[in-house]
Amino acid sequence: MEGTLNLVGFGLAAIGPGIATGLIFAAYINGVARQPEARSVLQPIAFLGFALAEALALFGLVLAFVL
Amino acid sequence: MANRDENAMWSIFGYLLSGLIFWGGIGYGLDKWLDKGIFTLIGLLVGISGAIYLVWLRFGRE
Amino acid sequence: MRVLLRSAEGEGFVPPSTKDFELPPIFGDNVYTTKPILLVFLSVILISVFFILSARKAAIVPSKFQFAGESVYSFVRENLAKEVIGHEFMRFVPYLFTLFTFILVNNLFGIIPLIQFPTMSHVSFPYVLALSTYLVFHYVGIRKQGAFKYFKEILFMPGVPKAAYILITPLEILTFFVVRPLTLSLRLFANMFAGHLLLLVFILGGEHLLQGVIGLKLISPFAFAIGIVLTFFEFMVQCLQAYIFTLLAALYIAGALADEH
Repeated sequence: MEGTLNLVGFGLAAIGPGIATGLIFAAYINGVARQPEARSVLQPIAFLGFALAEALALFGLVLAFVL
Repeated sequence: MANRDENAMWSIFGYLLSGLIFWGGIGYGLDKWLDKGIFTLIGLLVGISGAIYLVWLRFGRE
Repeated sequence: MRVLLRSAEGEGFVPPSTKDFELPPIFGDNVYTTKPILLVFLSVILISVFFILSARKAAIVPSKFQFAGESVYSFVRENLAKEVIGHEFMRFVPYLFTLFTFILVNNLFGIIPLIQFPTMSHVSFPYVLALSTYLVFHYVGIRKQGAFKYFKEILFMPGVPKAAYILITPLEILTFFVVRPLTLSLRLFANMFAGHLLLLVFILGGEHLLQGVIGLKLISPFAFAIGIVLTFFEFMVQCLQAYIFTLLAALYIAGALADEH
């Protein structure tokens, strides 16, 4: 087998954001299910949290190619 | 609408990716041109912060 | 940093790779008669025959056959088109319906015995589908709002300081015109490609284990069992990907139709 070790590093780096995204949307779904009228309050927060977590994953992806 | 969430997630992903590609690409080009090593990192940081700012504008202000 | 790994025993098991997707031409040297292309034609024939037959003898009390055809149609019409696009949905039902059935049948070829090759694991087919969707939703948006207003709304968000446009307008351009169609097609392609590769690993691996020593022979049923479980998993993924592709196409059309974002 032949390949680059950077991709292994990216795989490891993606674990954290993966778990984070799961936790964010778990909390969001929970909140909306309990109190549907809170959706408009929760939605921006959930999306911003998702954006921040996703940013780290994509950073890992880009650095895996650049380095 | 329930389907907006699905769309929003993919748009956020697209914004972040294009931010990194565009500004990171400019930084990478500057690095190659000026023979330095710092602009790629600066470009990536500018790109990611621009993209997060854009996500905030689109989805965070409501 | 590139590394080279050699497996310890290395008895000649060739792990499945991208070469398994480069199929030779079937009829002589004609490069246009490879398996994926024939599968596309087969899928078109299958879909047409199925829906023509199910709609020909339409009765008020539907037969089982008619019921199957109608439930697929009403699923696309009610759950995808009507719910997402809104009151103008009827114009886009034919397009979305074609998209959904075409992708679904081509994906399902991946697990149908004797065929077992998802057409969409060749990247050019999703590219064409994404390109046509891309043309449709931009055309609809320009037609509805006028070219100037449509592009202005995409590129310059209202209520942002002027200096910030330098930072974010390139991102909007890149997202709308490059990343969107690209992710649309690559998501479908990558799912089909990875799924087919996964099945190949377990089935070919199980077959290889069967030819080994007695200890390895005992393990190979597990590999086959996982392969069968993964086949059902693949069935789920294939339906889901057809649904997601159509849903996102509908969402993009809805976004182009909407006056305000």
